[in-house]
Amino acid sequence: MVSVINTVDTSHEDMIHDAQMDYYGTRLATCSSDRSVKIFDVRNGGQILIADLRGHEGPVWQVAWAHPMYGNILASCSYDRKVIIWREENGTWEKSHEHAGHDSSVNSVCWAPHDYGLILACGSSDGAISLLTYTGEGQWEVKKINNAHTIGCNAVSWAPAVVPGSLIDHPSGQKPNYIKRFASGGCDNLIKLWKEEEDGQWKEEQKLEAHSDWVRDVAWAPSIGLPTSTIAGCSQDGRVFIWTCDDASSNTWSPKLLHKFNDVVWHVSWSITANILAVSGGDNKVTLWKESVDGQWVCISDVNKGQGSVSASVTEGQQNEQ
Amino acid sequence: MKLKEVDRTAMQAWSPAQNHPIYLATGTSAQQLDATFSTNASLEIFELDLSDPSLDMKSCATFSSSHRYHKLIWGPYKMDSKGDVSGVLIAGGENGNIILYDPSKIIAGDKEVVIAQNDKHTGPVRALDVNIFQTNLVASGANESEIYIWDLNNFATPMTPGAKTQPPEDISCIAWNRQVQHILASASPSGRATVWDLRKNEPIIKVSDHSNRMHCSGLAWHPDVATQMVLASEDDRLPVIQMWDLRFASSPLRVLENHARGILAIAWSMADPELLLSCGKDAKILCSNPNTGEVLYELPTNTQWCFDIQWCPRNPAVLSAASFDGRISVYSIMGGSTDGLRQKQVDKLSSSFGNLDPFGTGQPLPPLQIPQQTAQHSIVLPLKKPPKWIRRPVGASFSFGGKLVTFENVRMPSHQGAEQQQQQHHVFISQVVTEKEFLSRSDQLQQAVQSQGFINYCQKKIDASQTEFEKNVWSFLKVNFEDDSRGKYLELLGYRKEDLGKKHIKEEKEESEFLPSSGGTFNISVSGDIDGLITQALLTGNFESAVDLCLHDNRMADAIILAIAGGQELLARTQKKYFAKSQSKITRLITAVVMKNWKEIVESCDLKNWREALAAVLTYAKPDEFSALCDLLGTRLENEGDSLLQTQACLCYICAGNVEKLVACWTKAQDGSHPLSLQDLIEKVVILRKAVQLTQAMDTSTVGVLLAAKMSQYANLLAAQGSIAAALAFLPDNTNQPNIMQLRDRLCRAQGEPVAGHESPKIPYEKQQLPKGRPGPVAGHHQMPRVQTQQYYPHGENPPPPGFIMHGNVNPNAAGQLPTSPGHMHTQVPPYPQPQRPQNGWNDPPALNRVPKKKKMPENFMPPVPITSPIMNPLGDPQSQMLQQQPSAPVPLSSQSSFPQPHLPGGQPFHGVQQPLGQTGMPPSFSKPNIEGAPGAPIGNTFQHVQSLPTKKITKKPIPDEHLILKTTFEDLIQRCLSSATDPQTKRKLDDASKRLEFLYDKLREQTLSPTITSGLHNIARSIETRNYSEGLTMHTHIVSTSNFSETSAFMPVLKVVLTQANKLGV
Repeated sequence: MVSVINTVDTSHEDMIHDAQMDYYGTRLATCSSDRSVKIFDVRNGGQILIADLRGHEGPVWQVAWAHPMYGNILASCSYDRKVIIWREENGTWEKSHEHAGHDSSVNSVCWAPHDYGLILACGSSDGAISLLTYTGEGQWEVKKINNAHTIGCNAVSWAPAVVPGSLIDHPSGQKPNYIKRFASGGCDNLIKLWKEEEDGQWKEEQKLEAHSDWVRDVAWAPSIGLPTSTIAGCSQDGRVFIWTCDDASSNTWSPKLLHKFNDVVWHVSWSITANILAVSGGDNKVTLWKESVDGQWVCISDVNKGQGSVSASVTEGQQNEQ
Repeated sequence: MKLKEVDRTAMQAWSPAQNHPIYLATGTSAQQLDATFSTNASLEIFELDLSDPSLDMKSCATFSSSHRYHKLIWGPYKMDSKGDVSGVLIAGGENGNIILYDPSKIIAGDKEVVIAQNDKHTGPVRALDVNIFQTNLVASGANESEIYIWDLNNFATPMTPGAKTQPPEDISCIAWNRQVQHILASASPSGRATVWDLRKNEPIIKVSDHSNRMHCSGLAWHPDVATQMVLASEDDRLPVIQMWDLRFASSPLRVLENHARGILAIAWSMADPELLLSCGKDAKILCSNPNTGEVLYELPTNTQWCFDIQWCPRNPAVLSAASFDGRISVYSIMGGSTDGLRQKQVDKLSSSFGNLDPFGTGQPLPPLQIPQQTAQHSIVLPLKKPPKWIRRPVGASFSFGGKLVTFENVRMPSHQGAEQQQQQHHVFISQVVTEKEFLSRSDQLQQAVQSQGFINYCQKKIDASQTEFEKNVWSFLKVNFEDDSRGKYLELLGYRKEDLGKKHIKEEKEESEFLPSSGGTFNISVSGDIDGLITQALLTGNFESAVDLCLHDNRMADAIILAIAGGQELLARTQKKYFAKSQSKITRLITAVVMKNWKEIVESCDLKNWREALAAVLTYAKPDEFSALCDLLGTRLENEGDSLLQTQACLCYICAGNVEKLVACWTKAQDGSHPLSLQDLIEKVVILRKAVQLTQAMDTSTVGVLLAAKMSQYANLLAAQGSIAAALAFLPDNTNQPNIMQLRDRLCRAQGEPVAGHESPKIPYEKQQLPKGRPGPVAGHHQMPRVQTQQYYPHGENPPPPGFIMHGNVNPNAAGQLPTSPGHMHTQVPPYPQPQRPQNGWNDPPALNRVPKKKKMPENFMPPVPITSPIMNPLGDPQSQMLQQQPSAPVPLSSQSSFPQPHLPGGQPFHGVQQPLGQTGMPPSFSKPNIEGAPGAPIGNTFQHVQSLPTKKITKKPIPDEHLILKTTFEDLIQRCLSSATDPQTKRKLDDASKRLEFLYDKLREQTLSPTITSGLHNIARSIETRNYSEGLTMHTHIVSTSNFSETSAFMPVLKVVLTQANKLGV
């Protein structure tokens, strides 16, 4: 079910903190405590180092690819309190913009759905979330939500672009009236939902309260044309919750516990079709989860490094428990 | 950054890590007085609520105590993992007493909060620690070298770790080892530390630098390394922290000399062993790495000394410090801006002065920290090194194509192992496949399409069908690929032609026996009775009167026979009159059959008889209205029928070859979200499309919105399972819906085609700029400087050619041509083959798929990627391209050969001619008996019409100039209606009308319409010109009521529809 098709030796000199493929799944960006960001061409099972980006002065926590319609753009955020936007130009990657508007570690970056333009949300340990909007000629407009999460925002994740009142995007040429939303998770144990008001200001729309410890990651599920919105959140408390909102107008969200792990859960990631959730835990295990017909979340696979096969990882897991 | 503060002169204890929410307990500190000189003591519990941005801490409970405290700790005793029981507060008092409190009772406001107390110690109890392995074990230290081990399960009788050390001294610190549960350390102001082994019940090692200046104020074990501990000195002459390793206990391993004056307290983070807090009489709070000695952080504090400092066990970034100015402050070491908080603090302070005026002087107390406020920069930097708890060690992220990118880092090695630890920093890319059955079925479908083995495929599906309905559907689909599909449809509906034919012949024979012999003589009576009158009329050639007379006398048979002789018009009128009179059960059916008004049947039959209606349509309907009628029936079933009938509508749509409606109907009936149910649908759709391609050379290239959505959903699913090539093949390729074009581009590139942009600047065309039409308030109007290094899907002012599929030097327009003419399209096929060009999809115009399968793709065209799907692209072969350019590609040939008119010119577009009837190659056995029926009988007529249709059309005459205005006016009106109509149903109606008006044009070409009708039509056209549709409708009614029904029935009803719509839409 899960088979390793490519092993990339990143040659990072310290811990890797994030690895993200681009829109097409052909290039891999990694970042590390060694302060570097690397980009590999991984087409056809290969690994060609395209770029080794230096510029951060601390561990780099996350990388995020912008939608390719804007070119080849990668954002990275670091403990050095900076967000760097890198851009490829004539085959060379260069720093295009540096955002130094945070007072503490920037823990998460996430690009808005491409329909909105180039907008980057950044969550920081200073508790603030900043939103960088590209306004042309190399200029970025910054909006900041102060005190979004006391003592730190750990994750930001945009809601998919959905036009209100319709289940599927209308491919009409008209400019749809999008409502921009994103979710954030922080050290106040909360997941918060933010919405852009008509005056362009960001307002807290909702607090999702279920975790008893830091929220480590949030992931808003991609839209698959259904009216239900789904958010996955994971926490230091070992729990992963799936939040769903069936009725956009009432905006009521209800949590369902996916699983309680024995250790911190660091990361959650939805598959493109939004039916599988990859959960990365502090026990260095990655598990895949799927909602069964009766609405329960079931683990469908352990993903084990190097070996990849399910049986192997299950065996190892049992050994560990013994 | 300061988070909270409480104005208390107190000892502090955080709730255990398990506890949620986080509480901070404070107990009035012994040996300190605040400005009130109050000797009252209290135990208070505050909640740390970080979602509250103010500096206040919420007080949960206050308990007035008779004791003041030297030490306060909060143990997790009897706490379960859920934290339901909030442990036990253990306090060290002034008079040798240890008191156990129940914090949950304090919070509940209970009066009886003391669990137990014991005053076995001598002097103040300054040292307390809970064993982290056995939380019921508490160690305490007091004067006279007294150390007791308390078992909370049996609190009355403490144990001792061994004999008292000599000389007797105060025990200032005590700490359990963090790795080995039976090891305990104690320290005294004299500077000596003793390590006890409780199993041996004796001290095992004494640690001292013999300087006599170590005045131990703090002792802490290394969180990870069992043999290491630190000692802090309160002595201003030696304000150091010593790091000791018991494996080398003769001198300190490292000495941290970061404080200028004596250290009052230390705290080692359990979450990150590289973080040691210390506070001293130099009024500094430092966070250093005891493993290196480096100062990582200096907390911005006021000038007051702190005498107690604690990490929050649950929130590793939070710490609290108690200062001598009577305040407990809670800080975060992650830095951050205090701008938001500062204002509140000032507000709070100034507002609180009023009621904090213990001396009644009216003068507020000097604000101790206000001077700092201005001096202090509002931005507080975080730790120099990132704490361990924010270093994400593991991650897994999905990416396009069902790939999962994972990485993990072996747990951070302890500092000893750091040197030899050379980690491999690997990232793994895995393929995740979750829908095996889906993939294998998709694979089978692809194979069937590739091998053109549709009949086999359908048969397999029929055999495997679980339900009767499923079986029916597949049977219907299968019929499409067989000869005589209409006949087979009928069979499936339970009507066997052969049987009927036999019966028919039999009856004929029987009838013939009754025919009167034609040889005899007869009288011609011209008497005054009816017979006579008829005779007179006949003799004068006045058929009309004769017929009228017969009808009047109810001699129907005579009337009809006479009417036949009297010509078409008369016959039609007579038929009409006959039907008006006749009332038998099947009259309506006969009416419909004779009048060729199948619409009537379809529109008004009882839906329970849908099979019969469908059968009638199958038998009689003209090819060009066949689909529409099936559609109509399907629509009725769908809209009016119960759920069972609704599903049957699918069968009608299959007969009609209406893929779009099939999709709509199926989607309505089935839950389409599950991959397998989508697979169910796609299988049928793909097969039906193939059938339609085979039978109707045109019309296949257009993909409806709904179908396109389903197909792209399907392609998405396939892609998500890693079957990129298959996804490309299924993706509709002749649509300009942005989401599909995006998906195509994504799939192409995901396959590993060269990523344009970074290898080569030799892109043959200008890259797309940031699209102007993009939404997005600001960004939409600007572009990143030179970001347009690659073309993306077109948008805005560009006409949308789907030619954004980029591979090397392909002319971007090559794929963009709408396949209006297949031959044209292929002339633009790129000069070199693209192995996995999506044009090889199921949705291609027919010619593309007619490439003989024996054409294998040459080896050297294989891309380096393993192709997970068997789809080959025949386009790779130049020869096959040649073949494709010939319009009469192999498969149409086969159907052509069975077509009754083999002399048809090959390249001529047939339009409707080759539609269902033509395709089925209607065998002579079918049409013959009917033709041989009574001469002039309507059945034969129908077929004559059908058969003569091709020749007529091929030799189409132009519409006479004077009538051309009719065509242009009507078509123009329909276009106007179409452009303003919104709902799909109206659009379908209009489309249908546009087709049906061909009948009118044909009649105009043949000039068979009577002058009254044509002039009436011209009147209507004029009223359309003036947009007076109601007038047009009136004229319409007039024409219909005055003209011969059979002459106008083919087009007048639709004209009415158009006029009505135009009136409604007000175009």
